[in-house]
Amino acid sequence: MNTQALGVEYYLAGMRAALDDLPPNEVAEIMEDVEAHVAELSTELGENETIEQRLGSPEQYAQELRSAAGYPPRTERLPVTTKKKLLSRPRAAAWGLAIATGVTLLAGTAALREPAILLLPGVILVLSLALVHDRGATQAEIMALPETIKIKEWLTPEAGTPAERALAYLRSLQPAWWLARAGLLGLGAVLLASRDILGFLFVAAIAVVSVYAGPRAKTDRRWLWFSLPASALAVGLLFQVIDTTADNLAYNNRSVYQQVPSMPQYENIYAYDENGKLLTNVLLYDEDGNPINAPRQYYGCSGDDPQPMIPANRYPRPKIDYENGTCYTVAPDVSAPSSTEDTPPSSSDAAPSSPVSPTSVSPSK
Amino acid sequence: MDTSQLLKGVLDLAVLAVLRKDDGYGYDVVRRLRAGGLNDVGDASVYGTLRRLYNAGMLTSYVVPSEEGPHRKYYSINETGRVRLAESRETWRSFASTLDGLLEEVAA
Repeated sequence: MNTQALGVEYYLAGMRAALDDLPPNEVAEIMEDVEAHVAELSTELGENETIEQRLGSPEQYAQELRSAAGYPPRTERLPVTTKKKLLSRPRAAAWGLAIATGVTLLAGTAALREPAILLLPGVILVLSLALVHDRGATQAEIMALPETIKIKEWLTPEAGTPAERALAYLRSLQPAWWLARAGLLGLGAVLLASRDILGFLFVAAIAVVSVYAGPRAKTDRRWLWFSLPASALAVGLLFQVIDTTADNLAYNNRSVYQQVPSMPQYENIYAYDENGKLLTNVLLYDEDGNPINAPRQYYGCSGDDPQPMIPANRYPRPKIDYENGTCYTVAPDVSAPSSTEDTPPSSSDAAPSSPVSPTSVSPSK
Repeated sequence: MDTSQLLKGVLDLAVLAVLRKDDGYGYDVVRRLRAGGLNDVGDASVYGTLRRLYNAGMLTSYVVPSEEGPHRKYYSINETGRVRLAESRETWRSFASTLDGLLEEVAA
């Protein structure tokens, strides 16, 4: 199997060399056909059979193909240009894609605060895709880069190993991830909507197109320039949403603890004038003219309550006594308001000992 | 007589004909031609012919992913291709009957 795989690579390399005077996009298209052909043929080969025996040498194959396709005969290229350049366009494009995906992941964690940061990976992506857009749907040249082959080896462990089963399982989840990704991106767009309409439109467009891009990238690798960064952005947004939610939860816990309203502690309010005389029928309002109601409710008085309706913000509130299932309103005990220690005349008798000046309790309108 | 020489002139027609009903990838087309009786057809000639018909706008192509091995590029005939197929068939029919007539005279 390995020697056959080597044979395939060798044969394809010979083909590419024999075609390298043709336009790169045409070569890419031809190689797409030929790769599948040679790969399928190599599985049909007998024990000691080689590809050359079935198809002839790569040069013969290339020559027959050229004449049938109507391409001009092979022209010799200068040896300089056939030398492998270290920084070829496919390589630059592949690295551009990898870097842009990484940058998108980082930018995604900040995208909700500053969506314009996504322009940076966007520019890298457009530039790197422009380098190889004319090289065909399978991007054979990028797939033949040594670094790509290395990654492919990592991603295809031997059959039957746990790693292989795990990867196969993850692959089966791919369509679900495409939906989850669109959902995350959509969530990000919604979170942006109130603050940055351009960012909202941008991320929402990515969310919509990403649904289409996932399956498309399977057949046209150029869609990877969209699909991979979209995944990175979704993961980045997920991190950020988790981070923000955690912050909010912590903040809410703290604020609930700190902002215990003081009102619920009061069952009643007693107002005294400066002479220590209890004021009755005091109506309390806040600065907006809303009644200030002590939170305690008058429970238990049913519909046929004999008592007249009392405004809830009139103080001191009458005490309610429950006897035999009915309520009785009892005038507050003027001399000693009981049950709450915080009320002003806490020192038992009539006058408050501290010289607190009376507060104005009229509506401030 | 060497049929491969004859084939050169009509391979376009043969390839269009086997794609008439079903789309096919390169090796598929080779197999259909061989199954149809063109045993001598060369793999590379078929691939070259597919490229030429594609570049002439008579075929469209799309890639189908494959779990094992490289993706397969399928070719399908479009309207231009169908028109060409119909024309070429007429040309071939009249050419073949002309030649048949000539050969009959020789035999007679």
